[in-house]
Amino acid sequence: MRLLRSNLSREEVLPRMRDLVEVLYAEIPSGVGSKGKLRLTRQDEERLLRKGARWAVEEGYGDAEDLERTESGGAIEGADPSLISDRAFERGRAQQGTLGSGNHFLEIQYVAEIYDEAAAAAMGLFPGQMTVMIHTGSRGFGHQVCTDYIEVMERAARRYGISLPDKELACAPINSPEAQDYLAAMKAAANYAWANRQCIMHWTREALMKVLRTSPKELGLTLVYDVAHNIAKIEEHAVNGRKQRLVVHRKGATRAFPPGHPELPGFYRDLGQPVLIPGDMGRASFVLVGTEQAMEETFGSTCHGAGRVMSRHQAIKKAKGRAIWREMEDAGILVRSAGKRTLAEEMSEAYKDISNVVDVVHRAGISKKVAKLRPMGVVKG
Amino acid sequence: MSRAGLVRLDPNRLKVPVGYTEGMRVQGIIYLDEELEAFLEEGSVRQVANVATLPGIVKASLAMPDIHTGYGFAIGGVAAFDVNEGIISPGGVGYDIN
Repeated sequence: MRLLRSNLSREEVLPRMRDLVEVLYAEIPSGVGSKGKLRLTRQDEERLLRKGARWAVEEGYGDAEDLERTESGGAIEGADPSLISDRAFERGRAQQGTLGSGNHFLEIQYVAEIYDEAAAAAMGLFPGQMTVMIHTGSRGFGHQVCTDYIEVMERAARRYGISLPDKELACAPINSPEAQDYLAAMKAAANYAWANRQCIMHWTREALMKVLRTSPKELGLTLVYDVAHNIAKIEEHAVNGRKQRLVVHRKGATRAFPPGHPELPGFYRDLGQPVLIPGDMGRASFVLVGTEQAMEETFGSTCHGAGRVMSRHQAIKKAKGRAIWREMEDAGILVRSAGKRTLAEEMSEAYKDISNVVDVVHRAGISKKVAKLRPMGVVKG
Repeated sequence: MSRAGLVRLDPNRLKVPVGYTEGMRVQGIIYLDEELEAFLEEGSVRQVANVATLPGIVKASLAMPDIHTGYGFAIGGVAAFDVNEGIISPGGVGYDIN
């Protein structure tokens, strides 16, 4: 997840929204198996797998400040391209710099409500402001990495005699070669995702400057934060009063580190880590901040989104005969999508209300609400 | 009233007690209020419990209020394992590594 703030208000961009959505849709490749505009050699791909968003910045997509505002600086050390299958390389090569399909999106939003003025100000957010949210990941590359290593882990679990109540829990002892290989491959996929969001952000900045005819300074489209929500990381946590090194798996869960955590950049050290929670395309998204209580209870983690209440199949049935795009447009949200099917699958009713989800983590104290963002324009795959 | 086998700890937390499935090493905690509990799938609760059986799991098998059934591990799940005694699992991250 990645959130950008701007110097512009909702009113300033509203008259140009239709153009904006069209240009973003044209400039940012989306859709199932979509191919990007980058032409990468295998060597390029190896470099990006090691360097993540740093690779993108070195290639001219964005600047060093973006990296400071990205979890792990946009690259985890220890990614090893030699542990990646040819099939994953192949799927990844054409898809770097693409949004993809499913729940991935690019949204033009505005700040609809602020719950914590000081925290919002520290993140550069103000009421009525235009923001941009980007949700995409490691595309076919990461999918292939997962597929490849599930096979490896099924064999490993048998070899190490781990009894599993469900074979889908296939795993290996962390110190085993199989586990270390998976970890190094997963890091490569995480780096691929950070590079992807960095490239897409760069083209988003260009598209907005073109349509709104503004300078980078007037636009002020800078990164608030970028955070992963499907990842495993080695972290230190206090367990029964003792520091312990752990592998924290977050699957559809967002890191939510508290104020003072050494992994946070200086400008967020006193505040805590910004947490970005997208809702469905018709309702809202939220910005929260990490807390000490999350550290104590949930290994510094919180929710990641709304969560489906209908399967994709059910949603398609429910949307039959309806024009979802028009329903959204009537509600003041312009939407552009590669396929009608995606819009049906992704309609609001298919998801829980994000406000209810966020209220639970807020009341439980494992992250605190800062701002609510509402969509104005949506690009979907 | 919470469904069979689960214990409501407070308005925002639901416990999956050790014993919900065989071999649980720690309890499960699902962050959920009564309103969202209406959407809770039996399959995803079982997944939270299953994860609690894995070697080296620390404190609790956790799930967030956006929980739903995933590949092996529930989506919305958080699980931490000791680096010396624990495991790592691709199902605990999922297909959309990001």
